[in-house]
Amino acid sequence: MIIMEDVHFSYEGLYTALRGVSFQINQGDRLAIMGANGAGKTTLIKHMNGLLRPMRGRVFVDGGNASSKSVAELSRIVGLVWQNPDHQLFLDTVEKEIIFGLRNLGFSQEDAQQRCDRTLSKLSLEGFGERSPFSLSGGERKRVALASVLAIEPLVLALDEPTIGQDARQKELLADLLKELNEKGCTVIVVTHDIEFVVEHFPRTIAMADGKIVADGPTRSVLSNQQVLDLCSLTIPQLTQTARALHRTFPTASERCFLLSEVEDAIVEILEGQ
Amino acid sequence: MSFLEVFQYTRQDSPIHNIDPRAKLVMSIAFAIISLTFINIVPLLIFFLFLVPLIIAARSLRRWSRSMKGLSFLLLFIMVFNTLFSTVPNPFSHSIALTLRLICLMTSFSLFFLTVHPDELSQALIQMRVKFEFAFAMSMAMRYVPTLGQEAYAIMDAQRARGVELDKGSLLSRIRGIIPIIVPLIIVSIRRALSIAESMESRGFGGSENRTYMEQLRFRCRDWGVLAASVLLLLLILYLRFFVPLPDWVLWELPY
Repeated sequence: MIIMEDVHFSYEGLYTALRGVSFQINQGDRLAIMGANGAGKTTLIKHMNGLLRPMRGRVFVDGGNASSKSVAELSRIVGLVWQNPDHQLFLDTVEKEIIFGLRNLGFSQEDAQQRCDRTLSKLSLEGFGERSPFSLSGGERKRVALASVLAIEPLVLALDEPTIGQDARQKELLADLLKELNEKGCTVIVVTHDIEFVVEHFPRTIAMADGKIVADGPTRSVLSNQQVLDLCSLTIPQLTQTARALHRTFPTASERCFLLSEVEDAIVEILEGQ
Repeated sequence: MSFLEVFQYTRQDSPIHNIDPRAKLVMSIAFAIISLTFINIVPLLIFFLFLVPLIIAARSLRRWSRSMKGLSFLLLFIMVFNTLFSTVPNPFSHSIALTLRLICLMTSFSLFFLTVHPDELSQALIQMRVKFEFAFAMSMAMRYVPTLGQEAYAIMDAQRARGVELDKGSLLSRIRGIIPIIVPLIIVSIRRALSIAESMESRGFGGSENRTYMEQLRFRCRDWGVLAASVLLLLLILYLRFFVPLPDWVLWELPY
């Protein structure tokens, strides 16, 4: 779906953000990109829809070389949802806001209207259609921004820090929504620091540090590598810390637990053993 | 936006950076007036060649030339537009002079803004008896120019991903394309202004009537020298311009 080959990028030749990034993302993947601040995560996803073009190396999107397509063309395939919704909202109703992007990308008025209605109900934003985006709370604005991209129904959805400013319930809903989209064949990529969110919902993780990929593989093995965690300034999830503490006292218990059920099982095993 | 770089302070140690900001303010204004005194190619070119070494002395040549590159589109536009629509006898020559004048003006002011830290500026204003609040607002405004630029880029990216074509289409559609950039930019700025105001208040801004300052600016001999030299230069140029008949080579124009 998305292939990058040895991609290099630097901002105005001053600050090097990517130094040789290569990976392949397949249709239907659900993956997280993690890394410390300034590791190049946002720069990386901006290459996926052509907002940034590699200075060296190549980017392929949906089988074609991205360099031959415009940002608008690529945006129909790869939808980027930004960290700050205020950077894109400018119209006086939520509905217009969602339809604006659709019309720009060449959908007919009726089609756009239908997609808009569908998306609003999917994101439990019914009744918000006529509201002004500026009267909404931060979390709601974030969902409107998400809706404006979802409505395009892109093959790949890339979200930059989607969990910031969302309460636990909204986070769950977001995770469910992303899983549902993913099951329907949409490739989902998130850039985040929220390790619990990743461990629970994303099977694959790409870890970045200093403009390079330091690990790429199943989330569990990537995030149980202490070296990777250090490079990405991540702390292990509390559940894993608990498991490690258990392991220190009861060496039979596994120290590589990421989910609540696994820790529960470990405790039950210990109790049964005694 | 890169042309704004020339108005952005860079920390450096150079003879120009070390001049007192008040002297530099007078110098920049004098230079700007000189740029506005002439509308002929030769004197503006001479003045330009006089300004470039000062930029080099401020160790900012690269930044300056980058800004000028960023500005080249506007400069070209001024040149073409004036050549086509000006009613003076030699429109092309006239528009080149106008372009040179703009470059000289920008360079004059950039000598000030490139080398004066916002804090220095506000301190200078305060010592020139401007009220602290105004001086502070001024230095804040300067401080936020680059931030605003970054924000504008982020907004452009966000809108381009929604199919807004910023550099295609007719003039009208381009102007329409600005709206999705400007509206979020204003809103983001207002939101930030409010939160900055709150955070300033919560740290006791305006709490005491009489502020004292740890560092006071002092005028030294060198600063007096710069001040006197700029004023003298300005007076000399004004005198030459208005009271002495200018020789032909100064008034030289291109034939079309």
